[in-house]
Amino acid sequence: MKLHIRPWGMVITIGLLLSIALSGLAYAALGDRLLGRGSKGPEVTELQKKLVQLGYSVGSVDGKFGSKTEAAIRRFQKERGLRVDGLAGTQTIKELKRLTGQSTNASGKAVGYKNIDTNLLARAVNAEARGEPYIGQVAVAAVILNRIKDPAFPKTVADIIYQPRAFSSVDDGQINLAPSASSIRAAQEAINGSDPSGGAVFFFNPAKTSNKYIWSRPQIKQIGNHMFTK
Amino acid sequence: MHRKFWIGALALALLISLGWGWNEYRLAGKYRTATENNNRRALNDFASHLDQLETDMAKGNVASNPAQKILYLSQISSKSEAALKDFAQIPAQQTGLSYVGQFLTQSGDFTRILAQRIAGGGTISGEEEKTLRDMHERLMPVNQQVQDLILRMDTEKLVWTDPDPSLRQRLGLGTQVAEAAADGSEAPAKSVRSGLDQLDASLQKLPPFSYTGEYATRVVEKPLGLPTGEVTRDQSLERARDFLDKAGYANATPEFAGESQGPLGGYVWNFKESYLEVSRQGGVITLHRDQRSIEPRTLSLEEATSKAKAVLQALGWKLVITSSEEFGSYVQFDAVVEKDGVRIYPDKVRLMIALDNGQLVGFDASPYYAFHHERTFPTKLTMEQAVRKLRPNFQVVESRLAVIVKSGNQEVYSYEFRGRYQGEEYLVYLNASNGTEEKIQRIIKTPRGEYLK
Repeated sequence: MKLHIRPWGMVITIGLLLSIALSGLAYAALGDRLLGRGSKGPEVTELQKKLVQLGYSVGSVDGKFGSKTEAAIRRFQKERGLRVDGLAGTQTIKELKRLTGQSTNASGKAVGYKNIDTNLLARAVNAEARGEPYIGQVAVAAVILNRIKDPAFPKTVADIIYQPRAFSSVDDGQINLAPSASSIRAAQEAINGSDPSGGAVFFFNPAKTSNKYIWSRPQIKQIGNHMFTK
Repeated sequence: MHRKFWIGALALALLISLGWGWNEYRLAGKYRTATENNNRRALNDFASHLDQLETDMAKGNVASNPAQKILYLSQISSKSEAALKDFAQIPAQQTGLSYVGQFLTQSGDFTRILAQRIAGGGTISGEEEKTLRDMHERLMPVNQQVQDLILRMDTEKLVWTDPDPSLRQRLGLGTQVAEAAADGSEAPAKSVRSGLDQLDASLQKLPPFSYTGEYATRVVEKPLGLPTGEVTRDQSLERARDFLDKAGYANATPEFAGESQGPLGGYVWNFKESYLEVSRQGGVITLHRDQRSIEPRTLSLEEATSKAKAVLQALGWKLVITSSEEFGSYVQFDAVVEKDGVRIYPDKVRLMIALDNGQLVGFDASPYYAFHHERTFPTKLTMEQAVRKLRPNFQVVESRLAVIVKSGNQEVYSYEFRGRYQGEEYLVYLNASNGTEEKIQRIIKTPRGEYLK
């Protein structure tokens, strides 16, 4: 029996195929649909940008939800206490949007991200203490902030970090790496007032430094690979 | 045939390498010039500000009209800040306290305080006049030596930092260069950096200035809130286990991880992924942090708050929770002492509650132990009198008595007013004895909670 294709059927089939094909291309806002491995499009780019802003590296921001993006989503979900499934669903996207929003004053007017010092501090922590235990990272951030209160050091976070030759990782450019999420968290905690270093203004790696001056400073405690001194 | 090919190929490779090398050399030269220009600018700016500072100090000493005095004192303060900023851009050695920086900071701090006092109608005492003159005396040789350095830079082509040992010296073939003496010897400096180091060293030998101000004292030297008596290592283990038990870690077996020095120093214990510090004096837990990975959250902020209150009670603290900041998988709370209705902010304990099971994963009592002591409160205005001192149209939402910290480590007994003005929310602190405005903080809503600035 010959298959009789009615004209209406053709139109409907072609219409369906086109709409499915074009739905990926049409501009969709972040949050409209579930994003997972294989998704593509401007919403994926927006997702990746927000992840990078919070410190979860996705490789390159290219609009393609690949393995690195999935790993970043998993790390984000884990650290925020969400269910870890590697998919950007409503909960995950809502949390992402909330955290990357601007701060507002009491009447709701946006006043900016208010995180200039935090960002720079996070970069410094990332550059100097990437592999250290979390409490060691907070301590490194605290050392920089302790220097502000000390009369012998420069008075702003940027001046302290960028003082030529004060930090070796600044001099060799590691400061320009994007900070990890744990560095950002460590910087935020230190700015809040946490100081696991006990008031230190110097830190060094005892296994790698033979500088006599720093060895002569009164030592406070050792956390991870870093010795903290006054 | 083959030979010609290879000669041609190698010649081409050589030419390309030479071209690349030449290009790199030119680029490196450009970068060197740019850096050199920046360093020069910093040094020259530094010297020029120092010079203006010296002149202003001399004038400030003789000015008698209060308005003129305020003018010069404020100028001294701003010039010293500018000099400090430039000083921070000159290439430093990797380590070292900067006595030059310290001197500049303290001069700026001291003059700013004096200027504020005169602006408020006060006067400078004879002692303070003498301190001003001493500062000027100390500045003059510093100024001269910096100008001398610049002169030598031009005439003798001084380098910025002492040159690294050359290859010959590193191989042990060259003669050993005597280390540039940073202990004030009179040998002329071989580089700008060692010249500044000598300056530093000469300032280090002089006695520090004594005055009360923001940078006069560093960290609290003696913690005020630690109980008396010292504990041994074994006793500290007992305290650690007791603390962990009450915080929800049953049958903990901490391992010794070293000692820490300093006024709040003591014994460091590790348990699984927890880090715990017990102070030597008093045997109290000063710091606890559990770095375990936290599971998806099951608690809300309210539930976490009640868990925080419960654990504080279990540990024997009587504190009131003042703020919270949420970090996704855990919430951080600030809790302070409240005595007779007065909130004492310096005596603060910070704790973190995990949102997966409500366990205490962070505890920091160092501010409490550093600052807690018995306080007596002077006579104060009534609430109505204080409210009248606020600016008009300030809508008060909450009010209470509080002790806050001002710059330096000064405590002020004050009225705290939380309120709105022109669409913004503020915390305004008025001195409880005389109603003067002591501190203002602005309240901002961030994604993580309220933020005071």
